[in-house]
Order: sequence, then structure tokens, then C-alpha cells
Amino acid sequence: MFLNSVVIVLREVLEAAVLVSALLALARGIRLGNRWLWLAVPLAAAGVTLYASFLASITDALEGAGQEVVNASLQAGVYLLLVPILALSWSAQSRPRLLMILMAIAISLAIVRECAEIQIYVRAFAALGEHAAAVWAGSALGMGIGISAGVLVYGALRALPQRWALWGCCTALALIGSGMLMQATLLLEQVDWLPDQSPLWDSSAMLSEQSFFGELLYAVLGYEATPGALQVGLYLGSLALAGVALWWGSRGGAGHAVRE
Amino acid sequence: MKRAQQWACAVLCSLAAGMAQARTPVFELEIRDHLFIPEDIVIPANTKVKLVVINHDVTPEEFESYELNREKVILGGSKANIFIGPLAPGIYPFFGEFNPRTAQGRVVVE
Repeated sequence: MFLNSVVIVLREVLEAAVLVSALLALARGIRLGNRWLWLAVPLAAAGVTLYASFLASITDALEGAGQEVVNASLQAGVYLLLVPILALSWSAQSRPRLLMILMAIAISLAIVRECAEIQIYVRAFAALGEHAAAVWAGSALGMGIGISAGVLVYGALRALPQRWALWGCCTALALIGSGMLMQATLLLEQVDWLPDQSPLWDSSAMLSEQSFFGELLYAVLGYEATPGALQVGLYLGSLALAGVALWWGSRGGAGHAVRE
Repeated sequence: MKRAQQWACAVLCSLAAGMAQARTPVFELEIRDHLFIPEDIVIPANTKVKLVVINHDVTPEEFESYELNREKVILGGSKANIFIGPLAPGIYPFFGEFNPRTAQGRVVVE
């Protein structure tokens, strides 16, 4: 029960931690301060509690497709918020409030997606009594390891030389966001909202999704060992869109738009 | 006349789609005492099927499969639908993420 709790919590926390770290590093790099966290933290906490409390109704909604549709929407929402963030970061001081709101919502959506499951797990299994201590201790350790990985990502991004720092953070966010959007399609396949894709390749022998490195790549790149044509196409397309937003922002597009 | 043909075609197509939906085979999978029953589900190759997972335990479980690219939380005392396939013949393991030591199963595609 102890080890199991470590693994479950680590897997979920890792994904959110990588995104949160990259956004924190970005906010620090563009001198946005940490005030936006005062919006993000209560928003995320409320979201996690609501989601976990209403999971039964959510699951039964839309003829049983509710859970997947909500999760896919949360993941797509993170990507759609990251695109303007990537464009606006280059002229952060011209629209700091908008940027802060976008970042707070993006972080909240990611945390709701990843952490609601932890709450469901801990609530149910800690209540069993006999395993409560193991569940709590394992979850705490899993969370600790996940957050440590996030701190490492933050440190690595902050350690980049000044002229590459903004590019580094934005590239990391573009990769994370595109991965989340791509993974959202798998959820919709699961409830038959999208046709099942036959895999284009199978790299599970080379790098298993179940290995720690596989999980880490999943969190950063949305690594998928057996992606279909839809997944590969959407991943490349969303990376390209993020790239356009980045390029437009870096050329001063967002700054000009604000001034005009 | 052409209009009528188009309409007839549209109606027939949607009927055919509805029938295809109705023909999606359904397979039941139960969770009892953190075990999947049956452990092996045999499904036809190259066919989309609907798995109905019924959790009889009081605790939640997460149906998880890396090979099938599926993950879904099923609360205690409730059921959930998971569509899989069309799949090539082979063995696709799945497990319960909340109780991986006991909750193990396989989708056998023949």
C-alpha cells in the first residue's frame, strides 16, 4: 500500500509539477512576481474539491463520457491558455494583469486534472483504517519526489543564460502544452467520441511508458509509445501554432498590438 | 427528384450508422475484492467493443492500460464504459492502478 501510494501520487504530481515549474520560471524571468499565485492556489483548491466531490455525476454525464470529456477539456484548456501566454510573455510589462490571470487559470486547470485523482484515492483508501498510515506516508513521499522533480526543472530553466532564458521557458511550455492536447485525444477515443487510431509505430520496447524516464517524458513531451496518425498530426500542429505565437511575441507583435 | 434521393440517402446512412452503433459488442468486466473478473476477456480482432466495468467494491479503482491507452476512474459501487479497438490480434494487459498487485487482467484479441 505504501509503495503503491508513492507511485500513484508521484505519477499525477509529476505532470502538474513540471508545468507549474516552467510557468514559475517564466514568471520569474519576466519579473511578473508571485502575486498571481494568490489567485491560482484558491482556484486550484476549489477546482480539485469540486471535481472530486462530483466525480460520480461527472462520470455518468454525456452517456458515460463525462469524465473523459471534462479531463480532455481541462487539458485542451491548458494548451489554449499557454498559446497567448507564449505570445504575451515577450512584452510582459505592457499587460501584466492579463498574463497573470492566464497563468493562474492554466495552473489551476492542470492541478485539477492531475490532483483530483489523488484526492479520490487518498480519501477512499485512507478511510479504510488499516492502511491509513501507509497511504498517507506513501502519498506524502510521492508528492515530495514529484515536487523535487519540479524544483529541478525550475532550477534548470532558471540556470539558462539570460538571452536563452525566455526561449527556454517558452519552448518547455510549448512542448508540455502540445503533449497535454495530444493526450486529450486518447481520452476522447476511449469514449468513442473520436475513432480509435491504429498506431503508427510502437516504441514501447525502446522506452516503456511505465518506466520512470517514460513517465518523465510523458509529463514533458506527452510521450506516447503507440501514437496514431491523429496524435502525431495534432502534436506537430499544436507545436507549430505555439511556435507561431512565440515567434509573433518575440518579434514584438503582442507589444505592438497593446500599444495600438 | 434529386432532392428526394439525397434525403433518402441521408436517412439510410444515419440508419446504417445507428445500426453499426447498436452492433458494437458489449463485454462486462467486474471488480470484486480488488480483482478483475474475468481476468481474461476474449474479444474479436479488428472490431470495436464496449467494455462495461462494474465496480462492486466500496473503494474506487482506476482501470489503466498502457497497451490500450486507456485510463478511467470507476468509483466504488458504480460502473463505467470504456471503448476499445479495433485491435490487431494479441494480448493487451490492463490493471487497477489503485490495487495493482491484485487487480490484473488481459484483453485477449483473437
